[in-house]
Amino acid sequence: MSTGYTLEGFENIQYQGLKHLQTLQGRLSTLYKSYGYHQVMTPTLESYDLYSDEEGFRREDLFKLVNHQGKVLVLKHDATVPITRTAAINHRDRKEIIKFFYHTNLYRNFSSPDIIKKEESQMGIEYFGSHSPECDGEIIELALQSLKVNGIQDIHVDIGHVGFINHFFDTLSLSKKTRLELFRLIENKNLADIHDFIAPLSLTKKSKKILMALPMLYGDPKDIVSEMSELCVNEDMEAVVDYLKALLHHTDTVGITPYLYFDLGFTNRMNYYSDLIFKAYMDDWGETVIGGGRYNHLSAQFGIDRPACGFGIDLLGTLDYLDQKGLLEKEAVSTTVILYHRDEKARAHQYATELRSKGKSAEMFDLYTTPKAFIHSQKNNILYENARFIYLKDGVFHHYQNGALVPEKENPSCKSN
Amino acid sequence: MQIQLALAKGRVAKKAIALLGEVGYTFPDYSDDSRKLIFTDSTGRIAFFLVKSPDVPTYVAKGVADIGIVGRDVLMEHPAPVYELLNLNIGRCRICVAGMENAQIPQNKKIVVGTKYPTIAKHYYNEKKQPVDIIYLNGSVELAPILGLSDYIVDIVETGSTLKENGLVVLEEIAQVSSRLIANKVSLKTKRAAIDPILEKFDSMRYDG
Repeated sequence: MSTGYTLEGFENIQYQGLKHLQTLQGRLSTLYKSYGYHQVMTPTLESYDLYSDEEGFRREDLFKLVNHQGKVLVLKHDATVPITRTAAINHRDRKEIIKFFYHTNLYRNFSSPDIIKKEESQMGIEYFGSHSPECDGEIIELALQSLKVNGIQDIHVDIGHVGFINHFFDTLSLSKKTRLELFRLIENKNLADIHDFIAPLSLTKKSKKILMALPMLYGDPKDIVSEMSELCVNEDMEAVVDYLKALLHHTDTVGITPYLYFDLGFTNRMNYYSDLIFKAYMDDWGETVIGGGRYNHLSAQFGIDRPACGFGIDLLGTLDYLDQKGLLEKEAVSTTVILYHRDEKARAHQYATELRSKGKSAEMFDLYTTPKAFIHSQKNNILYENARFIYLKDGVFHHYQNGALVPEKENPSCKSN
Repeated sequence: MQIQLALAKGRVAKKAIALLGEVGYTFPDYSDDSRKLIFTDSTGRIAFFLVKSPDVPTYVAKGVADIGIVGRDVLMEHPAPVYELLNLNIGRCRICVAGMENAQIPQNKKIVVGTKYPTIAKHYYNEKKQPVDIIYLNGSVELAPILGLSDYIVDIVETGSTLKENGLVVLEEIAQVSSRLIANKVSLKTKRAAIDPILEKFDSMRYDG
């Protein structure tokens, strides 16, 4: 057996694993449909230019191909950008409300080491045409529900807002490089290095105080909102605080505030996020499974200026969690295997057809050996783990019980003939 | 709720355990030659385990450890998605460029650098726009310029005595290094009630010392 054909970073999903993935997908489809979302699918290949540097896509992370005309293509790297384009092409009136959901594979981390996963399975929703606390609230609610419908309980949603930090930085007149470095330090809550980094910069005492406060702006939403009010230095920042208050009013009304944390010190690598950003995670699980936010300016690139908000859920990551927590139910697969000798093929086929027409699974094998030898040959085969073997002999179906052949109680051949 | 702490094996671990003792966490089971892998403090609030230093950010990023103590040099060499909350000011040293005393190395020419820190070295010379060949070494880096494998080395310098014994001198300083307290991005929020007191104690220590 050759193992030289295995590609690191990609995995086969099969049997129970695939059934669980499909169950997860089914539950989420049902959920999103129940909120009025419509499923869309975009191509696997996209133009290289779609995923630009400015939006935060690192070129070395893209899987690139060249077509026959020398045009550079990439394997789909992110779902939000192509779906925004689809919405822009099919809905030219910018006031239209469009609610989409999707399930897609994404190809990432091209230049990362072999052991890093390259293929992800993601579902998600995108809500176009509204910029209201109610729209953001619905997105957050659906993120929560996406985990709850799978039996997950200990969910937390971190809410941030890229506007707050950006509006503050706009007052500082820093170089782009300094700004990015400070963003990185704030993102890592690296207070020691922020302190050293800003010491030589010519900033006011108040600005430095705010820079040290930003990473620690996390915790209970209502506490954080009042802390934020004290840090505002311009109207834009105050507008963010007012917006978050309105969002909290909505989440109070629909009863999801207890799941929320605020963290104004977190940013997102995707630069298309313009306002609210959030991520969802569980207790005892070090990685986030849902990430999303509002991207009000992305659609303008495709000719229709419309606000939007959405999220994506990492299906394989969620499955890993469900598996570890014992929340996956093993689905029994039962198939009836009919073993027959050549002269009784017609009868065997008739019974198999009958079972299949009842929605059951049936397989048939022409016996060249004894039925016992056949059953034995499949005993370690995971695919026949729960199979029921029956043996057609002289017009009568038998099964093995304690090693002996026993006629079936209800013998179908007696009925149908 | 118990907090899992990952510690980098070696001299920093001893200092970190001493520091934990000072802020009120004692580990009765722990001794230098103990064969146990995980040690729990007398109150059961915190448990630590020892791993190789580059693995500390990995354990913390994956959430197996909630917090970790590791040198800044490791975080610079192996960047990880973790919070770098505090500078503990222990295990202080410098990352430096060192070379043979009185060595004649032509300027404006590609240089060869031996190091255990290829990422840091590459980044440093890229910023300086100095053409360079980096040779990755696992240890005894001082040997490289002596035997002519490289022109310079980039390495951790604590007192400089190892360099001196081998006839090497520090030429440039790349960064100051000390131990950092890092935290998993999820744990910091979900186990805040348990992590905050530890942070506060360390933070108060920092300004006393």
